[in-house]
Amino acid sequence: MTPKARVYLAGALLATVIAAALYFPALRRQVHKAKQPTEKTAEQARRELLQLAPAAGSEPRVKARMYWGSKTEDGSLVPVTVELPLSPDPVLRAKEVLNTLLAGPVDPEARTLPPDAALLAFYILPDETAVADFSEAIGTSIPSGIQSEQLAVDSILRTLEANVPQVQRLKILIHGQEVDTLAGHLDLTQTFQANMKGVAAPEEPKPSGMSVLTAPIEKAVEKMKSVAKQ
Amino acid sequence: MVLDPAHGGADLGARGTEGIRESEVVLQFAAQVKRALEAQGFQVVMTREGNDDPSFDDRSARANSQRGAVFITLHIASTGLVGTARVYVAPDIPPVTDTTGLIPWDRAQGAFVELSRKLGGLVQGELAKRFKGSPDTVLVAPVRQLRTIAAPAIAVEISSVSVQDRTELDRMVPGVADAIAQGVAAFRPSYVLTTAPGTSGGAQP
Repeated sequence: MTPKARVYLAGALLATVIAAALYFPALRRQVHKAKQPTEKTAEQARRELLQLAPAAGSEPRVKARMYWGSKTEDGSLVPVTVELPLSPDPVLRAKEVLNTLLAGPVDPEARTLPPDAALLAFYILPDETAVADFSEAIGTSIPSGIQSEQLAVDSILRTLEANVPQVQRLKILIHGQEVDTLAGHLDLTQTFQANMKGVAAPEEPKPSGMSVLTAPIEKAVEKMKSVAKQ
Repeated sequence: MVLDPAHGGADLGARGTEGIRESEVVLQFAAQVKRALEAQGFQVVMTREGNDDPSFDDRSARANSQRGAVFITLHIASTGLVGTARVYVAPDIPPVTDTTGLIPWDRAQGAFVELSRKLGGLVQGELAKRFKGSPDTVLVAPVRQLRTIAAPAIAVEISSVSVQDRTELDRMVPGVADAIAQGVAAFRPSYVLTTAPGTSGGAQP
């Protein structure tokens, strides 16, 4: 290699080192920035979802009654009146009150549901059975126990009773699935009866081939068919 | 008597900040309750003796295969006033209309709810005498374990794993054991079953 070529090579290497020194910090900043959304907590994600809730702010504000825990540690609930923009549509209204229930009271000690739990879906079947689908955190983050799990279910049921009269029964799913218990104690295979202080109303045995969720619909269809025959 | 220390194995149940685990504490409670019941002349079967975790149905099967059993599941809560104890019974389950005379497994408690309430009331009364702040009457909750028991069945829940010191729970053990034994002994005369169809029930404990 000629001395001239060596000088060119050394110059090229020096230029590469300088370019790398300038580029790597910028690249590191980009990687750090790209990483941030994946590190967002479930709580942040839930709050963002809540902000995107339909109709929030556009509906008239009405007094809603929320049921949170009492401070007496006796497992009882106390009604708290809050002003919320509630939709007249029962499904939207139920989503709004349940999201408020999940967001929790001012006093975190009165919370009945875990802060990282989210309502994934809510719908009302023709027989007035409401189906509320929650994220897995409702079972994994709640304090385990008969009292705490009953308090959680009762707060959901009583808040729905107070604000969405169209709901007569409640079925709770977790991540779209029927589960055995909320967190090892309270039976979630049953449907909860509204206006019964949270007491579960076991269902009549289902004819084979019907799922828990479609049974009421299929029964209604059968009834319509029999009426049509007459 | 069938005693059920809840949870076990990988299922630790309620966990306190001081490392207290429900699955371990209930074993200690169960051992003492067993001795207190045996002192009253009852034969006692446990659903688990060590750190294993039978399923809800396996635990129910232990009770449902006994003749004239009484089932008690023991729990330590995460919440509640420390030093109190509550008794829960299953809610009403509509009567079985099956013409075969068999009781569906998932509604087995239906025929025994009244007896469970009677037993629960007696045990709760004894607990309320010993642990100030406990309810005077039995509570109703859809506890999963109770639903598949074809016998009088109650859940006893003690507060709580949130104690600062495990000895606070240890001090409750003799009182809980005595209250359960006294409650069951008082219940014995009223446990006269008309044999429920499809069950092996019918005898006194």
